[in-house]
This record gives sequence, C-alpha cells and structure tokens, in this order.
Amino acid sequence: MRTLGLELRLFLVERAMWVILALFAGTLAYGIANGASVGLAARASADAAEKETFEWNRQVREALERQALDPRQVAGRPTIALLPPAPLPALAVGQSDLLPAQEAISLWRLEKPSEGRAELENPSRLLAGRFDLAFVLVWLLPLFLLAAAYDLCAGDRESGTLRMVLAQGVTPWRWISLRALARGTPVLILAVGAVLAAGTMTEERGVGTRILLAALVVVVYGLFWLAVAALVNGFARSAAAAATAAGSIWVLFVLVLPTLLNVVVESLHPSPSRAELVAESRAAAAEAEKRGNELVSSFYKDHPELAPAGMQADMTSRMLAVQDEVGRAMDPVRERFAESILQQQRLVDLWRFASPAIAAHEALTDLAGTGYWRHRAFQEQVTAFKGVVHDYYSPKFHKRQPLTKADVSSFPRFEYVEEDTSRWKTRVTTGLIGIAALAALAAILAAFRLSPRKLAA
Amino acid sequence: MILGIARKEFVDAWRDGRFRLGAALVLVLLLVSGLLARQQVARAQGERDAATALERKNWLEQGDKNSHSAGHYGVNVFKPTSPLAVFDRGIEPFVGTSVFLEAHRQNQAAFLPAQDATAMRRFGELSAAVALQMLVPLLIVLLAFGALAGERESGTLRQILSLGVRPRQLVLGKALGLGATVAVLLLPAAGVMAFLLARAAGPEATGLWARAGGLALSYSAYLAIFVALSVAVSASTRTSRTALTILLSIWALNCIVAPRLASDVIHQSLPTPKLAEFEAEMQKGVMEGLDGHDPRNKRLADFQRDTLAKHGKTRVEDLPFNFQGLVMLESERIAGEVFDFHFGKLWDRIQAQDRAVALAGVGAPMLALRSASMAFAGTDFAHHRHFAVSAEQHRREFVRVLNEDLMNNARPGDHRYAAGRALWEQLPVFRLEPLPVHDAWGAARAGVLVLAGWLLAALGTLFFSAGRLRVVNA
Repeated sequence: MRTLGLELRLFLVERAMWVILALFAGTLAYGIANGASVGLAARASADAAEKETFEWNRQVREALERQALDPRQVAGRPTIALLPPAPLPALAVGQSDLLPAQEAISLWRLEKPSEGRAELENPSRLLAGRFDLAFVLVWLLPLFLLAAAYDLCAGDRESGTLRMVLAQGVTPWRWISLRALARGTPVLILAVGAVLAAGTMTEERGVGTRILLAALVVVVYGLFWLAVAALVNGFARSAAAAATAAGSIWVLFVLVLPTLLNVVVESLHPSPSRAELVAESRAAAAEAEKRGNELVSSFYKDHPELAPAGMQADMTSRMLAVQDEVGRAMDPVRERFAESILQQQRLVDLWRFASPAIAAHEALTDLAGTGYWRHRAFQEQVTAFKGVVHDYYSPKFHKRQPLTKADVSSFPRFEYVEEDTSRWKTRVTTGLIGIAALAALAAILAAFRLSPRKLAA
Repeated sequence: MILGIARKEFVDAWRDGRFRLGAALVLVLLLVSGLLARQQVARAQGERDAATALERKNWLEQGDKNSHSAGHYGVNVFKPTSPLAVFDRGIEPFVGTSVFLEAHRQNQAAFLPAQDATAMRRFGELSAAVALQMLVPLLIVLLAFGALAGERESGTLRQILSLGVRPRQLVLGKALGLGATVAVLLLPAAGVMAFLLARAAGPEATGLWARAGGLALSYSAYLAIFVALSVAVSASTRTSRTALTILLSIWALNCIVAPRLASDVIHQSLPTPKLAEFEAEMQKGVMEGLDGHDPRNKRLADFQRDTLAKHGKTRVEDLPFNFQGLVMLESERIAGEVFDFHFGKLWDRIQAQDRAVALAGVGAPMLALRSASMAFAGTDFAHHRHFAVSAEQHRREFVRVLNEDLMNNARPGDHRYAAGRALWEQLPVFRLEPLPVHDAWGAARAGVLVLAGWLLAALGTLFFSAGRLRVVNA
C-alpha cells in the first residue's frame, strides 16, 4: 500500500501527467455531450412520431363515434412502429445513427421491402463514426493509459537506475504492477466518472445494472491495457522502444484486428444481396398478379367463412390475395436473408475476444441499447406486427365488414417490448469475462517476464 | 553528399529487423485487402447486374396495362460500383444501392450495405486506402523519430557535423533516404494495383488512369508530408523519446481523433435537415408551389384554361388528344421543379459539409487526403449525387414516354386502354455514364489544395529545422 501511495504521489507531481488527465477529461466531456445530443434528437423524433400516431388514432376514434367506416379509409394509412430511445443513449451512439428506429407499416405494403425511416445523414459522417463516449473509452482510453504508463521501468533500465531500485528488495513484478496501477488509477477514475455521468442522462428508470456493468467493462478493459504496458516493459530496453511496442499493440488490437475480423466475416458469410431480393420480390409480385383471380377463388375455397355473399371478389380482396401469395413466395427468401446476417453476428460474437476492443465496444453498445441486438429485436417485432395488421384487416375486407366503434379497442398498435434482461446480461457478462481473461493473460505473461530471474538475464 | 547520407539511411532502415517486420505486415495487409476488395466489388457488381437483368424481365413481362399504371409499377435501378472502389470503398457502404423509379415521386436511394452487416463495419474497413492513410504514416513515424534525435542522444551527431557535413545536407539526406525507403516499400504494391486495374478496366473506363494518377499524387504528397515532419521533429527535439511522443501524438490526432471530431463539429454548425421537415417541405412545395403562393390546383386549372384557349375548344373532351395524359405531363413538370429545388438543397448541404471537412484538413492532412482519395476513386458524395441525378433524369424520361403514350393513344374517357410490350421495349435500360474525370478532379480540388499546402509547409519546416540543427538541444 505504501508503494502504491508513493507511486501515485510521484505520478501526480509530473506536469505531463496533469496535461494527460486534463486532455482526457476534456475528450470524455465532449464525448458525453455529443452522445447526449444524439439521444435528445432521438427523443424528439420519437415524440413527434408518437404524437402523429396519437393524433391519427384520435381522428379515427372520433369518426367511428359518429358512424361506421369502410376499413379502406383507415387501413391504407401507415402506422409508425417505433423503437423507443435507447436506455443509455449518452454512453454509445452505436448503430442508432445507421439503423432506422421507425418503420411505416401499412396494409397495402406489407410485402414491399421494409420502409425504415432512418434520419437523413451525410454518408461520410456514418463512415467516420461519432465522437461519442464509447469512442473515447474504446479507442482513446488505451492511448491515454499507455501515455501515462508506457514507461514503467524501461526508462530506468535505459538510465541504469533499475538496478538501484531493484536493490531495495522490492520484487520487480510487484513494483511494476503497483506502478502501473498508480499511473492508471487517475485515468480510470475519470473514465468511470464519465460512465456514471452518462448514466444520469436518461429518463429511463432501473438502468443501475447497465451503468454498473458499463463501469466494470471500462475498468477491466483499462486493466488489460495496463497489463500490456507492464508486459512491454518486461522486454523494452528503452522508453522509446516501450512506447513503440505499446503503440504497435494498440494499432494491432484497435485498428487491425477489428477490420480483419470484419473482412473474415464478410468473406465467410457474405452479406446477402438486397438488389436481388428487391428484384425477386417484384418478380414474385408480377407472378401473383397474373394469377390474381385464380388466387382469390382458391382462397375462398379454403376459407368459406370469409367469402362474401355470392363469392364475388372485389378489387381489395383480390389485392389482398395477391399480397398473401407474394408473402408466401418471399418468406423463405427473406428468412435466408435474415439468417445470413444473423450468422455474421454470431461469428462476431464468437471472435470478439480476438481483441478486447471489439468485446468492449460490443458490450458498451449493448448496454447503451444502441447495438445490434436491440435493433434486431425491433425488426423481429416489426415483422410480427405486420402479421397482426394483416390478420386484423384481412377478414374485414373479405367479409366487407365496416369498422365500428367496437373495433377501436382492438385496433393494431405497435408496442416495442424490451429484450429479456437476462439475455443482454448474459451477452455482456460473457464479454466482460472474456476481456478479464485477456487482461489476466497479459498480466500473467508480464509477471512471468518480470520475474527476477528473467529480468537478470 | 546528400545522396550518400540518403543511401546510408536507406540501407540502415532495411537492415532493421523491426522495420522489415512492420513493412512486411503492411505489404501483407495491402495485398490481402486488395484481393478481398476485388472479390467483394466483383460480387457486388455481379449481384447488381443480375438484379438489373431480372428487373428488365419484370418490366418487359408486366403484361398489358394502362401506360400510366406502368409508371406506377415503376422500375428499380441499381448503382454500378466504381472500378477504383477496390482501392478505396469510401462512402459506398453507407449510401443506397438502388432507386425505385415511379410516377409522381423522386425516391431516395435505398438499402445501405452497412445496414445489412454487423456493427463491425463501424470499426472501419480494411482497404488499401486505409492502410496507406493510417498504417504507413505510423511506420514512417517509427522509422524516423530517431533519425536525428537518436544521433544527438548517442553523440554521433557531433562527430558527423565535425566532419564538415552541413546540417542541411544531413537533414535533407536523412529525409530523402527515408522517403526512398517508403517508396521502395510501396512501389511493388502500386505496381500490383496498376496491373489489377489494367486488367479490370473495360473500354468504358475512360479517365481511369487520370484518376489513378490523382490518387498516386495525393498519397505521395501525404506520405512525403509525414516523412518531412517526422525528420523535422527529430531534428528539433532533445531526445528521441520526446520526438516519438510528439510524433505519435500527431499521428493519433491526425488519424484517430480528427475524422470524428471534424465531422461532428462541422455537422453542428452545418446541420443536415431532419427527415420529417424535409418531407413536409417537399410535400408543401408540390401542393402549394415553391413560393407557397401558387397552389397546384390553381396552376392546373390555369393550365386547362390555357390549353383549351390554345386549341379553340371549350371542353377537354373535344381536344385532339387525351387531356389527362397532358395533365400528367404538366404535373410531373411542376413536381420536378420542386424535387430539383429540395433535393438540390439537401445535396448541396451534404457537399458543403464534405468540403468543410476537407478544408479542416488544414489541421489534419488525413481529412484532406481522404476527401481527395474518395473523389478520385469515385466513391465520394459527388459521385453518388451523379448517380442519383442520372437516375432521376432516367425516371423523368421514362414517365414522360409513358404519359405521352397515354396522351396520344388513349381515347378520352377510355379506362380500358392498355399499352403492351412494344411500348415497354421502347424504354431503355438505365445506364450510368461515368462522371467525367474533370469533375472528379473538381470534387478532389479542396483536398488536393490543402495537401499541397501541407506539403509546402512540411518541406519548409524541414528546411527550417535543418538550419537550426544543434548538436545539443536545450
């Protein structure tokens, strides 16, 4: 404990360290502010969509109070399925700037390609990514940690003072690890403080576990980089060599491995072709269109209870029958499409431990609620909701039933159901354990390398 | 003398095992990324070709129908990939790959490839461009930080200068030697790239070499800036450790911090409009006219009056053509003005943002290089806009032909009129003419100018630091 306190004091008298801490605090603050503004914008557009939906429902209700309505007057209007703002938006922008949080659903377009309403965005900005808290924590935190702790004993070795220090009787690993902790602690305290601050910027309740886990991810990720610093110092003969090695490892883990994984994933499970999906679904539609009348009569044969008097199909029931047929033809294609994207994500989940940066980023976006899985859950629920809309209107059209006041209560409404807590907790905890294991591995290697015998050699 | 020093520096670099390792890694990454990108671009193009063919079949075989209904049936067109996307995919993953062309509406390009991929995409892409933008500068920094500071530290600087070597000769020789090292490392990669391009280049690929030349120039300038700056910093610092700290900080600011920072700050001051506002304004423009005082209904009523007066008739039924068809043509024209105005405004804003980021390259040369690189590779927003505008022109032509058919061939009031395959075949397949090289250079101009400025400044700093070279730096 005394060594730790001493090292901490030594660290804090260096002016350069105060510069590092100030810079880090500045980038953290900017990252939080940026992420929070994205969260506010998401809130605003969600509010607007909710207001629009509410207004439309009110109009329909009032109209139905007066008289019964032809369902055609209501069904054509798109309902907006809304993914509510993320629980911790200030923590990570994640995929929320790319994937739509709203989708317009109308009866006549159920089988058309989905109409996600993503905000207008400059594609270069999507390419660059946001300067959010997750960026600061995953990309920059290691750089600040390494800047503070790259020279744990390499400089001493260079100048010859290492012998003197070791002559004091302190074991090298103990001394180096305490030194690394002393130098890393102030940086990590700032980082954890930032996570807590970002945690307060939400209207969501019960996000305590998310915040706590995010803080843990950051600490464990930080410890990994401190262990790397210690390991590097076991080898480097000069401070410059230590800095070079630490920098190269950072480049490897944060820049090269993630992009390599990206390439591997793309090559093993190529993204399916949207272009072909679009063209194929049009071909299916054309095919169904040609057989429209035949489809309708066979439908009434199967569903006599829905057949109108005289079995005479009108335009709308024909359109519905055609649409159903397109759905039958396209469902397997769409399932294959969704499946191959899921395969990609599974591969990422498996290989995220190749680099703690990937694991940490996945965990932070997952905790923020802006990652892959929450958007996927939304997409699945949207697909299910399309079925609800279809099942609600379809019998009414076939039987030519008007909408009445009694239908108001059973009107299809989209309500996003958050993913089961245990699922994201399992994913995040697995990631956390993985990062911890990598940190432990680096620390063990460093301890081995810094054993007195090795050091003497 | 300069050449002698350069040769010594060159030989030293190649003798250094760590440099050889780093160089080998960079070369492998360049090669792997090039090959995989070629495969991906070829696959994407194959998929789009297949989809185009299928859409053509859908279009031709849609059966007989009213020509305006065919306009509603519409057609999807797909964006061709740029041959140089193999080198730099730029914004391609983040822009739509197809546009649905239909009557009455100008749609945005939809289906961003990145939406159909995992979040790993957001870590960045492994492309030859990224390797040259980020990894090679790092290699240069690691190679150069000790060039003079190391000699100073070990005391050899004093010896060299005592031999009568002029400081300027020494500094320039070192820079030249390092530059040659990097050039020798990258020339084979450039050669492979050129070979692949030559093989991939079809007859339509005019201007490909002018674009490749622009790329070569921009990247050479960028890397030269790094060589000059690294040697200058090494000449001016007391220890190689300080030189390394400064250079690594510059590298991280340039390559890691600047892209996100610049893009976020610039979008704060030049915001992109919100989707809801954009759509509402466009809708309002269509209904009420661009100035808000010219309602669509009134315009069409005036149009009817004028048309009847022109033909000396009092009833539209007496006109020698189907008036509905003419109204469709007129309302497309009116809507077209509104689309041009609003989409033009949106795209101008996006290009203004991009230009501002390129100009922010004054603070971080990578921003300027990236902008120039994407422009030359044909993967920047200027090229995407060219696609969107061409697709819209195609739509207008396509809808015009259909509406004119309605106007000339359908008897007024005949709701059973149907055109057939003969008409569908008259409409050509969408073909995107490549953006002229001249325009690509135009799009790259801001970036190229900023890079040129940086190069001059970096060389100036190099000369200046040479003039002030001291054996012991205080």
